[in-house]
Amino acid sequence: MSAESIVASPKRRRRDEVRHIAWLWLGLTILLVLFSIWVPARLMGPPASPTMRAVESTMTVFSIAASPVAALVWAIAIYSLFRWKSRGEPTEDGPPFRGNGPVTASWAIVSSVLCVFLLIWGLAEMTSTTSPAEASNPLVVNVTGQQWVWTFSYPDQGDVESDQLYLPLNRPVVFHVSSRDVIHSFWVVQMGIKVDANPGVTTKTSVTPDKLGVFDIRCAELCGLRHADMETSAHVVNPADFAAWITQNGGHT
Amino acid sequence: MTTTAEVPVPGQHHDDVDAVGRRQLTGVCLLILADVAFVGALIFSYFYLRGLNTSNAWLSDGAATAPIWVGWAIAAALVVSAGFFRWALAGLRKGNLDRLVSGIGVAVVIVLLDAAAQVVQIMSFSFKPDANAYASSVYTLAGANLFHLVLTGLVGLGVWNRARIGKYTAADPWQVHIIAIWWVWIAVAGIGGALTTSFIASPNIGS
Amino acid sequence: MTAALVDQPVEPVSTAGGMLRRLNLVTAIAGGLILGLAGWLISHSLLQDDDLGSDQVVLVTLSCWAAGFMIGIGALNGPIGWALGRDLRHEDELFLAGKDQGVARYFRFTTDHKVVGIQYLVVTMVLFAFGGTLAMLIRTNLISPHSHFLNPQTYNAIVGLHGLIMIIATIIMVTGPFGNFIMPIMIGARDMAFPRLNALSLWLIVAAIPTILSAAVLGGIPTGWVGYAPLADQAPPGMDAYSVFIIIFAVSSAVAGANITTTVLTMRARGMSWNRTPIFVYGTVASVGLAIPAFPLFMASQVLLQVDRTQGGQFFVASGGGSPWLYSNLFWLMGHPEVYVILIPALAALMELTPVFSRRPLFSFNAAVISIAGIVGLSIMVWAHHMYASGWAPDLNGPFMLTTEMISVPTGLLFLVILGTVWRGRIWTTVPMMATYAMLWNFIIGGITGIYLSDVPADYALHGSMFVTAHFHYTLMGAGLTGAIGALAYWFPKMTGRMLNERAGYISFWFVQIGFNVTFLGMFAVGLAGQPRRVVTYAQLFAAGNFVSTIGAYSIGIGMLVLLYAVINSWLHGQVAPANPWGAKTLEWTVPNPIPLENFEVLPVVTSDAYGYGEEDEPASGIDPEREPVLAGASADLGPRPVGASNVEGGP
Ligand SMILES: [Cu+2]
Repeated sequence: MSAESIVASPKRRRRDEVRHIAWLWLGLTILLVLFSIWVPARLMGPPASPTMRAVESTMTVFSIAASPVAALVWAIAIYSLFRWKSRGEPTEDGPPFRGNGPVTASWAIVSSVLCVFLLIWGLAEMTSTTSPAEASNPLVVNVTGQQWVWTFSYPDQGDVESDQLYLPLNRPVVFHVSSRDVIHSFWVVQMGIKVDANPGVTTKTSVTPDKLGVFDIRCAELCGLRHADMETSAHVVNPADFAAWITQNGGHT
Repeated sequence: MTTTAEVPVPGQHHDDVDAVGRRQLTGVCLLILADVAFVGALIFSYFYLRGLNTSNAWLSDGAATAPIWVGWAIAAALVVSAGFFRWALAGLRKGNLDRLVSGIGVAVVIVLLDAAAQVVQIMSFSFKPDANAYASSVYTLAGANLFHLVLTGLVGLGVWNRARIGKYTAADPWQVHIIAIWWVWIAVAGIGGALTTSFIASPNIGS
Repeated sequence: MTAALVDQPVEPVSTAGGMLRRLNLVTAIAGGLILGLAGWLISHSLLQDDDLGSDQVVLVTLSCWAAGFMIGIGALNGPIGWALGRDLRHEDELFLAGKDQGVARYFRFTTDHKVVGIQYLVVTMVLFAFGGTLAMLIRTNLISPHSHFLNPQTYNAIVGLHGLIMIIATIIMVTGPFGNFIMPIMIGARDMAFPRLNALSLWLIVAAIPTILSAAVLGGIPTGWVGYAPLADQAPPGMDAYSVFIIIFAVSSAVAGANITTTVLTMRARGMSWNRTPIFVYGTVASVGLAIPAFPLFMASQVLLQVDRTQGGQFFVASGGGSPWLYSNLFWLMGHPEVYVILIPALAALMELTPVFSRRPLFSFNAAVISIAGIVGLSIMVWAHHMYASGWAPDLNGPFMLTTEMISVPTGLLFLVILGTVWRGRIWTTVPMMATYAMLWNFIIGGITGIYLSDVPADYALHGSMFVTAHFHYTLMGAGLTGAIGALAYWFPKMTGRMLNERAGYISFWFVQIGFNVTFLGMFAVGLAGQPRRVVTYAQLFAAGNFVSTIGAYSIGIGMLVLLYAVINSWLHGQVAPANPWGAKTLEWTVPNPIPLENFEVLPVVTSDAYGYGEEDEPASGIDPEREPVLAGASADLGPRPVGASNVEGGP
């Protein structure tokens, strides 16, 4: 403790400390919010479906919501390391208060409110990302994982089979996913969907691709020796090109 | 948050028999809790696979099953042996050491015979553990019960021997009391296993 | 297990301990090798040389090794002696406790909790050394997209071994060394409730370690540490080693859990009511108590796996009516409580030492206890958040999201407790206290990234990616291991009688913490960008992030080597520690160095909790100081210097 701080009136000193921490808190919060806006969603890359767009906004919103929490913890920690640090072994004890009811109660209430917000956000997001494809005449694709390749077939298009996924733009797709051997996990990275491919059962996931391009499909569950190589591509093409591709492969639309 | 201090008894390195007894009871109850979780996991596995009936292969058509009554007979013998053990404990509490020794003796003999019966049952199943998920589950539950029976038989032999050479008195019946609780638990586990294997066919057919 | 308390005169040539006098680690290894070899010869000649047979041989051999080891160390002498009615005499108990055996007692079936604590510490460090070396190999392989440093088979085997060894090491890293060595003294007990079970739990782990290392030559564990079936059904015999190891470890943890819990429930010093029981004791009991019902489920999953692998069972084979979801449910019913088994005692250790180095009472003891209880209660209801994407029960994803997000409330209270404790304290930035600060930094990141993963749609995008790997390293390593290192630096003077080299401690701290954040922030980035976990090669897109991670990992490695040097060097040559170098108020600091065999000459009576920093000492009126030498609370007379006269300034 510096001599000066002991001389100042304890009440005023305490007010100063709280003010300094508040400024530090504000500054860190701003930095973290800027980070939240720019970094997480950008790292996830451009979304190729409304689902992925929802996921990326979740990442951004949750990061922003968490910013003041992390900033508060770090502000107090950093401040205490500089302002309340003792040079070497302390020669006196700190103030002996053992708690502060209002502070503890508000802490618990604020974290509960944040928790409820996360839950409501998540439930709304779940509804918005899963319902559209189930609603309207979706394209059905059967996805089969086996060590270490993916196979896609189109049951309503004459069972066309392919080791690359072709999807028409803006049409909802439902994937029926299964496995021939061990557990794999079907992951279309830029579309933000993933479901395990289990032997013996069929799991479902759905998405509406809304961006033309070639996207990554990877296996997300360790499935043996060449798990790392179990990747292929998802081609999102115009409906006309999709029909042409189906016909070219012996199917019908 | 402070009170005045009480003066301890200096040099008292060991607690009285009741303190030690209660302590051992606590420890054994916690170990029973672990065993409850283990047996519970096996029973859960049975019902979960039966409910899922993946590939309709829980019990394929016409596949052999185990007669239900054998499991119940083995469980019933366990209940009788637990009854004898508790009867012996009640005798000890009244100071009747002869009843203690003979009661434990009968309980141990029943458990060891029951273990033999369990082995015979396992050897004579009309299916192998690789037949289907039902078969695997039945073998595993029977194996777990056999493990219980053998372990309890060994502990029972020890406690019978100690009773025989006069290690227990009405004033310190704790070990017999604690082992009686274990005995009741394995009887309950035996009943749980028999009940579980009474539900054979999957309710979820043709999905 | 009760001993006849007849004190017989000790004969000149002591026979105390009986047969145990001749048993030690050497006979244990010999016993394990002999029985293991016999098991191999017999099973190899009797069993068929087919797919099931080779697994049966490995199962029998490793089980025989473990049984032989336990017989050789003398674990069966107690039960057999009990059955024969040969109860221990007092001098047998003293021999078992390691009296007058010097270093040899660390290599025996010794029951003294302080010996067991040191043994656990060494075992933990050995496990970390193995697991850390494997981590360096993994990161070296991932330094570039196609490094070909390891072939895929070796890589998968190493990933599984690294995960499993680290999980086991982190499970025992706090409750093993400090729960055994420190906790009984902290509650004013002379030993644990069941000293022989204590030795049993330790030696079971020692017996199990060679089995898991044998997996390295049996084809490894190619499933990751989770051992997911049916990949585990088709794995090489290394998987049998995994099963045997888990089964032994589950028995060990049940035994240790029952022992520690009973000790705390029944052996606290007089006057140590629940509101005077140190928070570390709560953390220890919460951890081992949670493990009691949790690990048997893991054990059950391995029993089922062995039925599949050695008997052709169908538990996890879909065509035979089995289901992979059975395995994953059993596994995560254990696996999520297990995360808190690791985390809670480490955080509790930091909550224990923060008041000491802030010279402040623990802020809101009740909130700390409630949050530990809340985490324990919720942790058994969240397991399926690891299975959102498995498809086993999509309708349950919502409820599991609710329970998972609720955990953030009690966890948040733990932050408040620590922040409130440092608030206007007199911060003494020793290595243990720096660990508290590092935890505050890391655990916030680990906690917030956990919230993304609790959100079902976000988890669909992130599950199975490097983001998850980075997240749980931030919790288990950034908070858990950091807390354990803080605990080690804090209690090192009491456990070894010497101070931990402070300069080396700081150097290690900064190498580890900076390296840690570099490694796993880089891993978050590649995870968000879509790199799956457990891949031996990866797309060019992830090259920069992985390179950064690998450099960070090397920094962790250097820091850990410095820590290892500091521990060994300080243990051998460090500055001799006073009984209470930190001026702390818990009971373990009231006993002298070296600690006498049964800790306390006169059992202490506790008159206050251990957090009365800055408070007036209670006047010890009416107590005869001759008969009452050890009290909780004021213990300044044993410290190197009196704690300054309380300088009460009042709360905020
Ligand atoms: Cu795969």
